[in-house]
Amino acid sequence: MKKTWLRDYIIKRLLYAIFIAWAVLTVTFVMVRVGPTSPADKYLSNLAAQGQDTSQVMAAIEARYGVDRPIYEQYLNYITNLGRGDWGWSLSTSMSVMELIKAHWIYSFQLIFLSSIFAAIIGILIGIYSAVRQYSKTDYIATFFSFIGISIPNFWLGVMLILLFSVNLGLFKTYYDTSLSLLSLANLKQLILPVITLGTGMLAGYTRYTRSAMLENLRKDFVKTARAKGLPERTVIGKHVFRNAVLPLVTIIMFDLGSIVFGGAYLTEIIFGIPGLGQISFNAIFADDYAVVVAVTVISAFLILMINLITDITYTYLDPRIRYD
Amino acid sequence: MKELKVLAVLLIIAVLVGSSCQVPQEAKGVYISGTSAGDAETLNWILAADSASFGYIGHTLDSLVTYDNEWNVQLRCAARDVEVSGDGLVYTVTIRDDLKWGDESQVTAEDYVYTMKNLMFSDWLNYTYKSDWQEEVNGETVFVTPEVVNKTTFTITRRTVDPEFIYTVRTLTPYPKYIASKYEGDVESFTQAPEFNKLTYTGNLGPYKFVEWIRNDKFVVERNPEYYLGTDTDAPYFEQYIVKIFGTPAIQHAALEAGDISYAGIDPPHVAKFQAMEQINVYTMPTTGYLFLAYNLRDNGWEGLKQKEVRQALSMAISKDLLIEKVLIGFGEPAFSFIPVTSPWYVDKGSAKYGVESLLDKEKAKERLVETGHATQRADGSIEITDKEGKPLKLTLITNSGNDIRENVGYLVKEELLTIGIEVELKFVPWATELRKYLMNKVPGTGQELRYNNGVGAVSEESWDLMVMGVTTLPLSPSGQDVFYATQGGLNFWGYSNSPVDELFQRIRSEEALDEGARKQLYAELSQLVAEEQPVNFLAFQLANAGFQKNVKGIEPGINMGYNYHLWYFE
Repeated sequence: MKKTWLRDYIIKRLLYAIFIAWAVLTVTFVMVRVGPTSPADKYLSNLAAQGQDTSQVMAAIEARYGVDRPIYEQYLNYITNLGRGDWGWSLSTSMSVMELIKAHWIYSFQLIFLSSIFAAIIGILIGIYSAVRQYSKTDYIATFFSFIGISIPNFWLGVMLILLFSVNLGLFKTYYDTSLSLLSLANLKQLILPVITLGTGMLAGYTRYTRSAMLENLRKDFVKTARAKGLPERTVIGKHVFRNAVLPLVTIIMFDLGSIVFGGAYLTEIIFGIPGLGQISFNAIFADDYAVVVAVTVISAFLILMINLITDITYTYLDPRIRYD
Repeated sequence: MKELKVLAVLLIIAVLVGSSCQVPQEAKGVYISGTSAGDAETLNWILAADSASFGYIGHTLDSLVTYDNEWNVQLRCAARDVEVSGDGLVYTVTIRDDLKWGDESQVTAEDYVYTMKNLMFSDWLNYTYKSDWQEEVNGETVFVTPEVVNKTTFTITRRTVDPEFIYTVRTLTPYPKYIASKYEGDVESFTQAPEFNKLTYTGNLGPYKFVEWIRNDKFVVERNPEYYLGTDTDAPYFEQYIVKIFGTPAIQHAALEAGDISYAGIDPPHVAKFQAMEQINVYTMPTTGYLFLAYNLRDNGWEGLKQKEVRQALSMAISKDLLIEKVLIGFGEPAFSFIPVTSPWYVDKGSAKYGVESLLDKEKAKERLVETGHATQRADGSIEITDKEGKPLKLTLITNSGNDIRENVGYLVKEELLTIGIEVELKFVPWATELRKYLMNKVPGTGQELRYNNGVGAVSEESWDLMVMGVTTLPLSPSGQDVFYATQGGLNFWGYSNSPVDELFQRIRSEEALDEGARKQLYAELSQLVAEEQPVNFLAFQLANAGFQKNVKGIEPGINMGYNYHLWYFE
């Protein structure tokens, strides 16, 4: 029975995701193409410096890129190509958009994935400990460091970590080395500082969320009942309190994961020289590289929708009372 | 005893033989050049418009010649320097006969001529720099005419004389006709051609061969054992050469300090720190970039600026030495025209040196401003500038936000002018806004396209009076600055117009200037005239600082430091 309504629900949500992705594509395409700038702008200074009639040559260059045609024609052309699996050619990096995304997504993904795991595991453990030992010294220390963690800007922390651990102690390279195999220990080692940089803010947040969620549940009647029944404290905390507290946490973790896909890790990527999609998409915006901007936005939107779907499905397992039929 | 004599003779022979041969360096190591100036856009050079792209391609593809630090010609793909006919119209190029494409076939004059005629001069490809190869003939813009003479020789014929065209010819690089012809006429295929985007065609034309390009990360090339200049020396001496891109100069500096990279440019505030490091060599070198303060001479600027004496007075109130000391932290040279000291055409004598020595005089500046009638003197001796109706006004200074040096120049100008009573309002705006709202202009009420110079009557959308800018000049052909200072110059956004200046630019590019002595005299007159006229306040030529790990040897510091980089090695 559960299988049937879950299948129908997933199909409905997938169709919805496709529709949203198309809407995002259309809006992004129009916004990028009707803006006052043009991919040919990068030539403006050079051409003027040569005393050329800029408008004439700019028009010729826009024709080279096909951006001189009416917007509906460009849109239809784009959609037709997309139907054939062609996401277009990146003008600012001189490679096909799909090749570009294929080559760079993994750098962003490994950073975001490891940072989330690092932040979730440590943040949740500290949060539980803080809640159980409320108002103890440990709780105060955890609270103090959580506020510091939330307040420290990524770029500052990253630079400080590099100066301390790479320049002064020589423990790490100052930048991310793409020549190392992704599955090697050396790669894992070089991700330590970027993961700490990106994960610190998230970790501090998870600590606070876990602490409050745990405290809220610790005060509930079912906990008193469990204790009155003589259940060991570990079982009370782990099985009864944490299981109830984890539900809002899953939402927050998944939301974080979704919001930093592609764009949110930009600063960390910049500091450590990680050629992820954050950097690629940011540069594409400034270069008016519309094919990359549209592709990254659409894929990003689609992924966020998928993450939301996975979150909703996870709920049904964490709390059997939840149904979507 | 006899054996000792034989041994001694053998030793002497060995020493003599050793001293008469140059011991080749061993190729080893990976050289990593750090940059925080951003990634390239393409490896397909004819489509490139940014210096990073040309920099990457240059590792695998030499031009006809290059220059050492004293601007002496160093032959590369050319067998001898470009020859110019007596009438200055025909340029004869002879290339080496040992240049090879990736498929081992010979690079010929036909490839060069094909590249010019069918690609650079074509309508379908829209080569960005095509105007360098055009001339005005009877009011019509036409291309120069390339022709094959034999397998290794071709000519380029002009119909008008331009003594500085030779510098353009020397930069030529070819495309292989056997590959390029496959894509001819189809701009999309040409843009996406794998041979051009992976530089598989470059054969022995550069010291290095393409390995990989990871966008926003690094560009990697490896030693080219076939390099035509390496046949006798085994050069180049680095196994790999990597351009590593950093997001911020701070991390680039950290990487140099940690020994993770071989080279990085160093910003002035950090030079002393790196000079104190044992493992780093810091070289200070001249650059071709200069800072200037533009005066808006168009109708939406303060009308006083249109008068030469007012511009001179403002320039007399701003100390160039102070600017170099405070803003450039000592890494600059005062500028008095757009011709740098490192240019072969630089003449020191006779130019007015506003902003230093006797022409740095704030009292005289005030007197001159009052004399012009654009200012009134207050009781305390300071002055107040006024508009047409005699009302006091503030000047507006624009520069692009995020550029620390230009912003700091703005603050210094504000302080300096305040000492004579002139108030300046600073506006730091994004670069794109500065270009579109303050530089580009058009005649109000017309349907003109926005351009940097739309002639008399054109004004920018937003009004301004002063603007801090920085541009580069070509020391070998400073006449290229006519785009800024000639009445019709494409980048003359501030609206400067002076007939004698226009005439001198034209004469430098005429038959009269074929004689180098005559050309030098014309340049001397031009620099004296602009130093006197003050179309802008030429502030300073900047100096650059390069930090290298101490084990990098063979470097010749200078304005063209990298000219012999294929001979650099690790100790």
